[in-house]
Amino acid sequence: MKAHGVVGLVLGAALLASGCGGGAATGGQTEIRFIWWGNDDRAKVTNEAVRLFESRNANIKVSTSFQNFQNYFEKLSTEIAGGNAPDVIQMDYRYLNEYAGRNVLLDLTPHVGKEIRTTDWDQGFIGSGKLRGKQVAMPLAQNSTTIVYDPKLFSAAGVKAPEIGWTWADYREAAAKIQASTGGKVAGSTDFGGTEDVFETWLRQRGKALYTDEGKLGYTKDDLKAFWQLSKDFRDAKATTPAELVTTLNAGAEQTPLGKKLSASEHSYDSLYGGYNTVRPDELKLGPYPSDSKEVLGSYRKPSQLISASARTKHKEAAVKLIDFLLNDPDAGKILGANRGLPANLKIREAVAQNLSGANKVIFEYQKSVDAKLGDAPAAPPKGDGTIYKLMQRKHEEIVFGKKTIDQALDEFWRDAEEALK
Amino acid sequence: MPYLFLGPWLLGAIGLTVAPMVVSLYLSFTDYDLFNEPQWVGLDNYAKLFGDDPRYLHSVGVTLRYVAWSVPSKLLLALAVALLLNALRGKGQAFFRSAFYAPSLLGASVGLALAWRAIFDTWVDTPDHALVTIVLLSAWQFGAPMVIFLAGLQQIPRDLFDAAAVDGAGWWRRLWSITLPMLSPVLFFNLVLETIHAFQAFTQAFVVSGGRGGPADSTLFYTLYLYERGFTEFRMGYASAMAWVLLVAIALITAVLFRTSRYWVFYGDER
Repeated sequence: MKAHGVVGLVLGAALLASGCGGGAATGGQTEIRFIWWGNDDRAKVTNEAVRLFESRNANIKVSTSFQNFQNYFEKLSTEIAGGNAPDVIQMDYRYLNEYAGRNVLLDLTPHVGKEIRTTDWDQGFIGSGKLRGKQVAMPLAQNSTTIVYDPKLFSAAGVKAPEIGWTWADYREAAAKIQASTGGKVAGSTDFGGTEDVFETWLRQRGKALYTDEGKLGYTKDDLKAFWQLSKDFRDAKATTPAELVTTLNAGAEQTPLGKKLSASEHSYDSLYGGYNTVRPDELKLGPYPSDSKEVLGSYRKPSQLISASARTKHKEAAVKLIDFLLNDPDAGKILGANRGLPANLKIREAVAQNLSGANKVIFEYQKSVDAKLGDAPAAPPKGDGTIYKLMQRKHEEIVFGKKTIDQALDEFWRDAEEALK
Repeated sequence: MPYLFLGPWLLGAIGLTVAPMVVSLYLSFTDYDLFNEPQWVGLDNYAKLFGDDPRYLHSVGVTLRYVAWSVPSKLLLALAVALLLNALRGKGQAFFRSAFYAPSLLGASVGLALAWRAIFDTWVDTPDHALVTIVLLSAWQFGAPMVIFLAGLQQIPRDLFDAAAVDGAGWWRRLWSITLPMLSPVLFFNLVLETIHAFQAFTQAFVVSGGRGGPADSTLFYTLYLYERGFTEFRMGYASAMAWVLLVAIALITAVLFRTSRYWVFYGDER
């Protein structure tokens, strides 16, 4: 009997101790937690940069972890709700309002230009981390929408590679020729009708935006209808992937039709080129979006990722220090390279550009080729955009599988999208 | 003293099951969003579920279809294999029993669902076939009810069969008039258990559909939609209401099964 009591006590004590131990300072050291989403490549360089930070700041210990994008925000939200928020958080443009609107991100405004240096920055780009006058995040790097394509298939079909000035009709014709030239085995393009990023770029080409400044839908039913019709035109012309492949969009590069060699081209972000290049080394290139407008390409300088601190961090100073280090330290910049896109600090961007190879080189060259055409980023999307993003994908799927007509899908999309923005 | 021994279990049951359930019942009447203080909204969540959420009703339909297909196919397979194994007495029965049980051990694993996804690649990506693949995946994991059936079969007194054989009863006759009635309590037990499990199915659908219930919502299980509302849209109040409706529905269906059991379940000592 007694023995059991003792065992119980010891177990209880152990539980208590382990419960209190997490995240607390050990031996006069500050310990902070930094989390991001990404793959092993990114983990390697990020951890290397963090180790360098620790060696320069002996009193700060940084524990890190990462997830893939899909699981990341689910884990983050539960951790924050459980009062166990990480101190430094990689943030996504699409989720910025979702989190900042709920007051879980630290306002960095007092530190910008001081502990977080910004002299070597494009000042307009800093603003992409601002919401209602508060700097709730700093952009980590820049990316833009692009067409990733297989140049061999383009030349084998005798069509021109993507270049500034080509139109959606040009794209459709080229894609149809490629598809025919492979006997239908490889699609000319990946169906884009369910992807909000593509829709946004297309809208911008027509002088519109996804959202108004008030956070309402910035387009009409007719706009979306025309976009879905555009995607249908590709299907009717036998220029794009079949319905079954639509569902694999937005996955890792190895799961996309282009990554699986089932498509000759697809809409993506240049910062994802590293992933494509791992699956199909040195086989793919980047080109500009087609546009029916001579002046506007639609792509913009998007913060590929941002970095924030938790509003509830107990170690504000250390968190801010780590953020500045990742953004502005030349050695950290060298280690991180273009893994997250073009570095936000222009001096570091230049230094990285001097020493390019492989995927990084392709990304930099693409950005250079379209730079004159890139717009500034719009305000971060409102709360509810994450839901709308999935909604668009789902409704488009229902159209492609013939479950709904475009008009039915449109009505349902509209109702649910407005509900999501409430 | 007995409560002292029960203590660890009681602590766990109260702390990890009862308390969260009570909290979730409370939250189901609020607009809790994970970050802000919950605000009381009365029956709004429940009203919206049934009045203003076509996707919710769709997910109920998908789940009912899944239950209606997966439970009978799993039980039939389990019973068939158990009958086979029972006939094997001593001739490698132990080996085959383990072999057929193996898929169930791996059953809930993510790795297996991923393998399934890869094998049925194109099926999984077509709305008309996606649910079928998940039903197949679940039916294949018939090990647990099979082992229980087998134990039940071995409990049936041999002399019943011998007497029937002397009277000239064939295999089917013996199955219908002896095996099934004698096995009915076990069948009932398996039916209740598998029905409850099927309503709560999550992992397979989550992995096979990449967490989206797709394509085109064809595998949007109840639990998957609950998860999406709660953890990707942060509508925890709404998700809690969904969880409670599911709990009540499962309780009702189980009660109905128990009511019907008096007509077809035969306990040896009754007559």
